[in-house]
Amino acid sequence: MMRRAAPFLACFGLLVVWQVASLALKNDSVPTAWEAIRAIPAILGDKDSLVNFGASLRRMATGFGVAVAVSIPLGLLMGRSRAVASFFNPLLMVIYPVPKAALMPIIMLWLGIGDLAKTLVIFLGVSLPVIYHSFEGAKAVEEKMLWSGAAMGLSATQRLVRIVLPAALPEILTGCRTGLVLALITMITSEMIARQSGAGNILFNALDMGQYDTVFAMIIIVGAMGIGLDALFERMRTRLVRWSEPQFDIPLSFS
Amino acid sequence: MTVLPSRSEARVELLAAQKPAAAMIEIDHVSQVFQTSARQDHLALSDISLTIEDGAFVSILGPSGCGKSTLLYIVGGFVPPTRGAAKMKGRAIRGPGPDRGPVFQEFALFPWKSVLGNVMYGPRQQGVRHAEAEAQSRALIEMVGLKGFEDFYPKELSGGMKQRVALARTLAYHPEVLLMDEPFGALDAHTRTRLQNDLLSIWERDRKTVLFVTHSVEEAVFLSDKVVMMTRSPGRIRQIVDIDLPRPRRRTELLLDPRYQKYVVDIDRMFDDSGENELPP
Repeated sequence: MMRRAAPFLACFGLLVVWQVASLALKNDSVPTAWEAIRAIPAILGDKDSLVNFGASLRRMATGFGVAVAVSIPLGLLMGRSRAVASFFNPLLMVIYPVPKAALMPIIMLWLGIGDLAKTLVIFLGVSLPVIYHSFEGAKAVEEKMLWSGAAMGLSATQRLVRIVLPAALPEILTGCRTGLVLALITMITSEMIARQSGAGNILFNALDMGQYDTVFAMIIIVGAMGIGLDALFERMRTRLVRWSEPQFDIPLSFS
Repeated sequence: MTVLPSRSEARVELLAAQKPAAAMIEIDHVSQVFQTSARQDHLALSDISLTIEDGAFVSILGPSGCGKSTLLYIVGGFVPPTRGAAKMKGRAIRGPGPDRGPVFQEFALFPWKSVLGNVMYGPRQQGVRHAEAEAQSRALIEMVGLKGFEDFYPKELSGGMKQRVALARTLAYHPEVLLMDEPFGALDAHTRTRLQNDLLSIWERDRKTVLFVTHSVEEAVFLSDKVVMMTRSPGRIRQIVDIDLPRPRRRTELLLDPRYQKYVVDIDRMFDDSGENELPP
């Protein structure tokens, strides 16, 4: 009972701290938690902002989906083939430390400010953790397990799909979970830089116009989206890897 | 006219004489060189020649690091030999295949599959129909003593149970040769003894050819028809000892049998004489 309630208590506590702090600060740009919460229904009731949210989620889903579909096979191949790994590793090491949002202006020059540019930035943000974790997962697959498969007559491709993939799945899904959070982050930042539509667009337009309660209401909404998506993903993940060793019992999400 | 029957008699005799001597596995002047991390060549196996007859239970016995597992991997086709060749039924071994079934010390079960899923994996891969594969697998699981555990995942099993699953999984696709790589090495003494007994009674039913790698003298003598003693670094065949003990073997009887005791003591003494025990394990 206490364990289930704990995350919600934590959120409530955060709001209380916020409320007290904003009352103490008496600054116009820091609305109270209550003011921010009161602004939420107006945003969610507005048809325009719902269209914006829809556009954001669509880009996020596309970027995340394509990234996962490309990164998992690439990571697995890198983990099982030294040649593939030594070809892609330097490329990835160059991209890794660059904040993906910093690429946004260049990408906009090439692809414009539309869906394609933003989806590409999301794709880049999601790819790296998924590649990395798939790579690590594939590398850790026991050689003897692959030999057992080979003795049963599995070809190299079959071993990759039917042994390496499931054996690395717990690690892959850890990467996907990080990727999901990064998808949300890059989604908002891409919309901040190329304002046209989306949740980030609402947030930063409100900021420009000094509507601080809307800004903070949007932060709450985006935060709740993150929590919700993560909880949903965790539920799916635990179902898929129920067979794997229990790692820790401490809940890391709301699921 | 009278010549005919005697001729066919002679042929029958010839066949009978040939059959037990039919070579299943031939290892022909195999050497294996590894590169160490310091980029130096390390000779792991040196000029090994060995013939394993059809239906024989042969153990390779030696201290750790003598290359005995490597020899098994070469027969399995998992590792190509640096020099020489291994043959199965006269055909060169070029890679792994379902005619040679490995059982590893590390179990190497598929953790995402249940016990039944693991055992069914091989037959399904061979194209056996699902219902048939399931029926066969359930029977095998019962034979290795795991009835009732069909739906368990490997992580829910003890080491001994995992190795039972691994054995059933390998037997399920009917390999002609079992390649057992220190299969009981990771188990406690009690579990080890029980698995040795069970392996022996399973083996005595259909007498598949077995190549069994171990560093336990007692285990090798208890199970085998033939014990191949190896030296360490580089791994060479030191001596081949034929274990002439009656079958079926029962542990309780065998432990009291002076012939069994003599084999164990003799082999132990031979390792002692070579100074193998002075080397760190």
